[in-house]
Amino acid sequence: MSLLTVENLSVHSALQEMVAPISLQLDPGQAVTLIGETGSGKSLFAQALLGTLPTGLHAQGVLSLLGQQVAIDNPTAIEGLWGRAISVLPQEPWRALDPLMRAWGQVEEVYRLVARSDTPEKATRAVLNALDLGKAGDRFPFELSGGMAQRLAIAAARAGGAKIVIADEPSKGLDLARRDEVARRLRIVPETGGALLTITHDLELAEMLGGEIIVLREGQIVERGPAMQVLRAPQAPYTRKLIAAEPRHWPAPPAPHPGAPILTATGLTVARGGKVLFSGLDISLHAGEVVGLCGPSGVGKSSLGDTLLGLADPAAGQISRGAGLAPIRFQKLWQDPPAAFASHQRIGQGLADLMALHGIARDRLPPLLARLRLDPALLERLPTEVSGGELQRLAIVRALLLDPVMLFADEPSSRLDPLTQREVIGMLTDLARSQGIALLLVSHSPDLIAQATDRQVHLNENPGAPQAAATLQTA
Amino acid sequence: MIARYFGAAILAAVLMFALGLPLIHPVDPVAQSLMHALHPPSFESWLGYDHLGRSMAARLAAALRLSLGLAAATLLTTAVIGVALGALASWRGGWVDRAVTLFADSVVALPALLIVLMAGIILPNQPLAFWAGLSATLWVEIFRLTRATIRAQLAAPSVEAARLLGFGPFYIFRIHLWPELAPVLRATFALTFAAVVMGIAALGFVSVGVRAPTPELGLMMVELLPYWREAPWALLQPVLVTLATLLALTLIAGEKRT
Repeated sequence: MSLLTVENLSVHSALQEMVAPISLQLDPGQAVTLIGETGSGKSLFAQALLGTLPTGLHAQGVLSLLGQQVAIDNPTAIEGLWGRAISVLPQEPWRALDPLMRAWGQVEEVYRLVARSDTPEKATRAVLNALDLGKAGDRFPFELSGGMAQRLAIAAARAGGAKIVIADEPSKGLDLARRDEVARRLRIVPETGGALLTITHDLELAEMLGGEIIVLREGQIVERGPAMQVLRAPQAPYTRKLIAAEPRHWPAPPAPHPGAPILTATGLTVARGGKVLFSGLDISLHAGEVVGLCGPSGVGKSSLGDTLLGLADPAAGQISRGAGLAPIRFQKLWQDPPAAFASHQRIGQGLADLMALHGIARDRLPPLLARLRLDPALLERLPTEVSGGELQRLAIVRALLLDPVMLFADEPSSRLDPLTQREVIGMLTDLARSQGIALLLVSHSPDLIAQATDRQVHLNENPGAPQAAATLQTA
Repeated sequence: MIARYFGAAILAAVLMFALGLPLIHPVDPVAQSLMHALHPPSFESWLGYDHLGRSMAARLAAALRLSLGLAAATLLTTAVIGVALGALASWRGGWVDRAVTLFADSVVALPALLIVLMAGIILPNQPLAFWAGLSATLWVEIFRLTRATIRAQLAAPSVEAARLLGFGPFYIFRIHLWPELAPVLRATFALTFAAVVMGIAALGFVSVGVRAPTPELGLMMVELLPYWREAPWALLQPVLVTLATLLALTLIAGEKRT
């Protein structure tokens, strides 16, 4: 008996078809991964399965769960199956935990109330021990490390005993080690007789999960087949483009030509909230050089960048900038593009104010927009009305207006899908090399750092240890 | 939203009565005419006369002008002081923040009425005393709210970006901070306004506020209280007007944010 059968499931708005009819079947032990960029309809498809489509959208087709037909246009019918037959791993699972409930209770209540287990304590103890959380039962979520919180959220999501698991962008915002762990946990689902439906734009995750892959674009199936076949021998041009957009397949960067030193820091110690993040760091940045900054989450990559930019004071050490460089020529790009713009101000107004403030000629803007392939009509919009990739490029335009000598890019592409990421990072590194900008690039993707930067600085999770050798590690 | 429009409509009606009445019915609110004492409402005088034969309509309008005028002046002062100090404290941080916060906490530690009464002794029977006394105490809440809101906003990437791009504090306040602060403060402004109206009436009611014969809502209530059996309609008038004003302000303040 197949766990989940979908026949010609499509999603419509009043005006158009959002997702073209898709059929798929999930048997016990099977995994299916939906791949596509933002707006490809992959999330809408999952929402249609769960009965959580946004208002105004309607699903059509035939849905059978555990051999029983379910009315797909009746969300309450599907709601009754949540947790027991079908469960969802939410994006960024640690945010799905109750911040005021101890770890034990978060799992135990699911066994007690959803699975109606007669022995919820025993089941909870067993699952927490199995996930290496046995000693963490009486801790609150804020006392857990990121990885532990993630395992706990997975345990809570699975405690209802659902055979069908839907994982929506499970690797979003994770560094590599954590992503691999999520992939391992997800693989357990089909291995233990369940069925897994994953939605992602992370091709490496899709490869690790195996099973069948469906590539979606603008609501249409572009290609489908076994994971290895689709990823190793893609047939459709779009799939090839997606695979080429992965950082590990990027062309190698041109040979570096470092120019004059822009900024030199010696014996740098950075502390935040009284805790020393790292100490004794020497780093120098040269014009036209792309430097990667790597290290695990929370090691102080952002704090280092902010200290070099002068946004924060170092606890010890010297930072010297090249002679005659105005402070406004040291600029930054942020991880979350919408957060870097005033939310109530039209983008063009902000740029006009900036040009008026520094006496920048107005005719400098149109060529920059053209260079970053931006439509001037975007200037009339608010930041919330522009896509993340366009907004990040507008942030680059804003920085370029000031003739920067240094740019600190703090994970500028981590919220963008792979095609947009490749475009933004490509433009950024080209500009840095051609305009002689020292670019300090932070990313949690080692492939991206390896392919996009000239050399790397590694920060290690070891406060107090001297890291003078860091700048010597070149690619 | 409907509640807010309703509140604004009541407030507009109260204002129209307070400011418009002298134009169409120019009667001295302290002119006595014992012939008319406790004369009930009639076609000639819609609201009747009080125990000394003074026009209730003229007295109510004058009392409202005093209360609302004082409240407006106090609100303006407290808003300027509170927002300026709140912005300064969160912007500068460090010892400036600690000093201003300590000062605000010490003001809260003093009973607000005591400060108003002391101001009343220094400046006897002058509306200026209420303005000074109430302004000195009511700014603290606006200060605290401004400080907390701006503090969160100052850490946002957009403000960091504006600083790196070379924009000054006034531009950042106007473009980045004020749009976030204004909706938070609107309710507090309405409630501060209401607190002033109520404070003046409360002081008048316990006979330590404005002195007779100046018309004032709380004082009118206490003056008319002995006549409640003969003229309940007269006693009810200042009570209802006060109630309507406070209700309007509470409705304006209490909009649920969606």
